[in-house]
Amino acid sequence: MRAIDAGLTSCHVCHQLVRLPKEKTGVHLVCPRCGEEVHMRKPNSIQFTWALVMASIIFYIPANLLPMMHVQTFAGTQSDTIISGVLYFLETGSYLIAAVIFIASIIVPITKLIILIYLLISVQHKCTLHRHQRKKLYALTEIIGKWSMVDVYVVGIMIALVHFGGLTTIEAGEGANFFLLVVVVTMVAAMQFDPKLIWDPKEEKEENAGY
Amino acid sequence: MGAKIVCCHECDELVKISNPHREGRFKCPNCGNLLFMHKEGMVERMYALGISALVLFALTNYFPFLSFHVAGNTSHANFFTSSIYLFQEEQFLLAVALMMTTMVVPFIRIMLILTLFGPLYYGYLPRYASVSLKLLTFSQPWAMLDVFLVGVFVSMVKLIKMGTIIPGTSLWAFMVMVFVMAGMQVTLNPHPIWERIEEQQKRRKTV
Repeated sequence: MRAIDAGLTSCHVCHQLVRLPKEKTGVHLVCPRCGEEVHMRKPNSIQFTWALVMASIIFYIPANLLPMMHVQTFAGTQSDTIISGVLYFLETGSYLIAAVIFIASIIVPITKLIILIYLLISVQHKCTLHRHQRKKLYALTEIIGKWSMVDVYVVGIMIALVHFGGLTTIEAGEGANFFLLVVVVTMVAAMQFDPKLIWDPKEEKEENAGY
Repeated sequence: MGAKIVCCHECDELVKISNPHREGRFKCPNCGNLLFMHKEGMVERMYALGISALVLFALTNYFPFLSFHVAGNTSHANFFTSSIYLFQEEQFLLAVALMMTTMVVPFIRIMLILTLFGPLYYGYLPRYASVSLKLLTFSQPWAMLDVFLVGVFVSMVKLIKMGTIIPGTSLWAFMVMVFVMAGMQVTLNPHPIWERIEEQQKRRKTV
């Protein structure tokens, strides 16, 4: 038995079961226990998630093209993008660090966006296949989301450490700002998506297909 | 207390739990999502973890976590310096994000846990309990100390060829704090506190 069929929903803050009368759609109801607004499903979840996914795809382009940081030495200014940082570590033989940066700043955001787009399309097409796998994919996006912040933190720590009054300084590049936006926007997008939508379409098709 | 019905917040399945006070993990039979974990002594453990997290937080922010020597020059980095230098460079977005996720949000979470579980430990449910729990739920994804730790390691390797890196006192405190914060996340089970809040609300109504 699912809560939506019983006319019930759970408060997303305190998980209290709340009865939502069908005739009162559009009325703002609050949870009697914690006072937070309750909905059957997150309102406009698909639209918001699509908008945020689109925004982060757009931010992702300058995040990769613009430099993450500028290193100023007597020899001149050197600018590093994400990819050039990874390549630098590969050349110098620090394979582990190259892998960490590559996974955190390239694989993680792209995987997250692909998973979210797949979930959105499958929900919009009322797909009933692979629900358990899709649920796991959604859980994955929530877990890996914040790990792309590594590169932003590295820029921050480098700025603090390499600070010798004029001799050598490191400045944050524009790419770091865009990268930060990509991370934050994809995290909000994953929060906006309502995983209950995966389970909403009825399994009539499967029953018919089984004869 | 008898049985209670919980709604899985991943798949919307109604789950009847006949014995919610049995110790262990309760999973959704439909999708396998962890509904909640019940363990005796949650309040005591949270209070202890909260106190140790506060001590470690103070240590982490007082001492520099990395020092860097190049050709007679030394610079120290702690949590404030990165944000301050970013502010000086007028990178406000980065500075605010760094400050929020590594200092402000973790500190607020530690204080929320202490002010909530401190009174609970002495057997008294504070009036602001529901606000605290709500803030703890919302702030949970934005505390990124564990990610910052990985960032520290990456920048250590990045700089090791340029000069000498000296791990400071607070790096050790910080590493322990990451584990303490993770422990708090796992231990925290808000359901029994919400039940106590509900009981108190009922009592207020009848009186």
